[in-house]
Amino acid sequence: MPAHLATLTRVRSTLSGSVGSWLLAALAVLIIVVALGPRVASQGPSFFLQIMTYGFTDGAIYALVAIGYTMVYGIIELINFAHGDVFTLGAAVSIPIFGAFGLAEGNALGLLSVLALVAAFAITMVLVGVLNVAIERIAYRPLRNAPRLAPLITAVGVSFMLEGIMALWIGNSTVHYPDLLPSTRYSLGGGASLGFKDIFVVVVAVILVAALTAFIGRTKLGTAMRATAQDKEAAQLMGIDINRTIAATFFIGAALAGAGGIVFGLYYNSINFQLGFSAGLFAFTAAVFGGIGNIQGAALGGLIIGLVRAFSDGYLRSEWTDVLIFAILILVLVFRPTGLLGMRVPEK
Amino acid sequence: MVRARGLVVLILAAFVAFGCSGTSSSSTNKGTITIGVSLPLTGAEASQGTPTKNGVLFYISQHPTIDGFTLKVVSKDYAVNGSPDASKGAATMQEFIADATVLGVVGTFDSGVARAEIPLANQAYLAMISPANTNPCLTKTVYIPGSLRSNGQDVTCKAAGLPAPADLRKTYPDKNNYFRLATTDDLQGPANSLYAFNTLKLTKVAVISNNSVYGKGIADTFTAEFVKLGGTVVKRQDYDPANTNDFKAFLTSAKALGAQAIYYGGLSADKGCVIRQQMIGIFPTGEATPFLGGDGIAQDPTCTRTAGQNAVGIFATVASVNPDQVPAASTTIAAFKAAYPTKSDYGSYTMVAYDCAGVIVAAIDRAIKANNGNMPTRDAVRAEIAKTSGYAGVTGTVGFNAAGDNSAAIVSLYEDKSTDPNADWAYIKAYDFNGADKLG
Repeated sequence: MPAHLATLTRVRSTLSGSVGSWLLAALAVLIIVVALGPRVASQGPSFFLQIMTYGFTDGAIYALVAIGYTMVYGIIELINFAHGDVFTLGAAVSIPIFGAFGLAEGNALGLLSVLALVAAFAITMVLVGVLNVAIERIAYRPLRNAPRLAPLITAVGVSFMLEGIMALWIGNSTVHYPDLLPSTRYSLGGGASLGFKDIFVVVVAVILVAALTAFIGRTKLGTAMRATAQDKEAAQLMGIDINRTIAATFFIGAALAGAGGIVFGLYYNSINFQLGFSAGLFAFTAAVFGGIGNIQGAALGGLIIGLVRAFSDGYLRSEWTDVLIFAILILVLVFRPTGLLGMRVPEK
Repeated sequence: MVRARGLVVLILAAFVAFGCSGTSSSSTNKGTITIGVSLPLTGAEASQGTPTKNGVLFYISQHPTIDGFTLKVVSKDYAVNGSPDASKGAATMQEFIADATVLGVVGTFDSGVARAEIPLANQAYLAMISPANTNPCLTKTVYIPGSLRSNGQDVTCKAAGLPAPADLRKTYPDKNNYFRLATTDDLQGPANSLYAFNTLKLTKVAVISNNSVYGKGIADTFTAEFVKLGGTVVKRQDYDPANTNDFKAFLTSAKALGAQAIYYGGLSADKGCVIRQQMIGIFPTGEATPFLGGDGIAQDPTCTRTAGQNAVGIFATVASVNPDQVPAASTTIAAFKAAYPTKSDYGSYTMVAYDCAGVIVAAIDRAIKANNGNMPTRDAVRAEIAKTSGYAGVTGTVGFNAAGDNSAAIVSLYEDKSTDPNADWAYIKAYDFNGADKLG
């Protein structure tokens, strides 16, 4: 082995341990301080705080989408390109559901409408979940033992189909999403403020991620999912119904993406049929960033992308945003190919 | 139903006209002359295209014959699956060319479709007059002149990724066959600068564009003129519409830098009015913080709906005259509305299209007379249209330069005064860059 490769391997093995985590974190902080320090100092702390709130809300939405990517990849090693469009579909489907529940703009958020909102969330999540299970049954399951490229292409195909259907359904321009949440803002001092919507987004994301973590860690189906992710054949020998377990994974992933779609709609109040393409791309990036297959990693990755986005938009120019995100991604992956928190994929 | 009524009016008017002029024209019908109409008549733009077509129909209903020839209108739709389509435009232009009675075409509505039709019409000497095309490169070699930009450098059509006028008239470069009544996009930004600085008394503005040729173009010209007038652009950003949903970081930073308003270069389809909506909570809402832009957002119900509670206070320009504000047009508009009582039959370009038809018919008249009362050639009609000067139309005086541009250069400014998407935007004022209004 040439000397430089040996060095790289050594550096990698050091960095992938706990020492590495600290080193990377320190490096990241150092870069941020050097790059943004002077600008941050000139703009003042309340501006910094304000930008941070945007980063958290944006990141929370990415996290909800990223989890579905990471779960599916963790269990069957498929990059489900259609996942981003399931996210858009969640937003699109929820509009008529809101209408059916009588949730309209301008109504005060009483107990009844909160219940209706929760019900709308549940129905949307179930609907897109069932749809994703159907997609898995039709487009992915028959190809489970086919070469890896085949399901990848069917996934791309499903993505285009969903986008086309949504373009026909909701039209090919921006669609207004009902503004149901109060636009109350709470002052954080010094001109910075936090909106009710910001809090809503983060709270919903935290609840869903916590519920999912508990589900995977504590329930029988969650254990089956972890077992299937680790070793499909062994899990089957232990009596786990693989098909059912994988279907459940698609269901949960889509349900979270659907919830993410509603949260996105309620937060930004406008959607379009192509939303899922870029949202999905960044969510997938977040999943790889955090360590694909790792749910906490996906959430962390989403959050980091949201924060980088907000700080770049706020302190630099938005043209730098994507450059920065992917520069950081490349840097992390070169030294730590398994992502920030480490991959959790089937061991070979 | 609506169309049927229009047809009845046309036929009736034809009868009346024949009845009156029967004796003087010795009642010999020398044949039919057709005016073509090339517009989007189905889909998303039909709400603009159909009223525009009605303007032509109405003019011909008032002037059913010329020098013993019967005038007829043939309309062809170039929308495919609801969207304007350049190849469909080219196909309909071929049909017009194949019909020897077609001596002039009113159209198009979309600059992109004009780009496909002009070269074909050029081969056949067939004249086109557009009521609505505003892309500079249909008539000019420069997309944005250096005089309208901060660095003084021209943005050529080539640099903007568009063919130059000569590339569209390759068969007969010296026989220009394309004319328009609307002015060009490069004046939209400056008109808004004048309003922002002189009327709204703004001195600090943040500028954002959708990074398209059009959006960047109007954002650049706004910036240059605003700076010339003495204002400051505190922050400038060109975002990627596919990947950007959150503009709050940009807006917060603009606010921190003292911006009193935002200028947006782009379309409502590219989340332009999402920016306006996200200003809530960062800037004071409504007219307290104006949101400025071009015809990519002007008078667009989608924009109002997207901007939500913050829709009021959007000031946007359109590179065309507002006929409702031209006193001379009022009689004709009233007559039109009597013939076409349905509200959706009348639109911003109805009267402009009426004038387009008028210019063509006047040129046909001169060409017939020059040809001893016989059917003129298309080239003769084309040459007569090119000579148009001082034509007293209802929307203003029409005269063409060698490139085919109208001598009048009017940009109208509108304000969204309501959060109701169905409410009309209020007309604020017009800038006449060929007359009273000069750039700084």
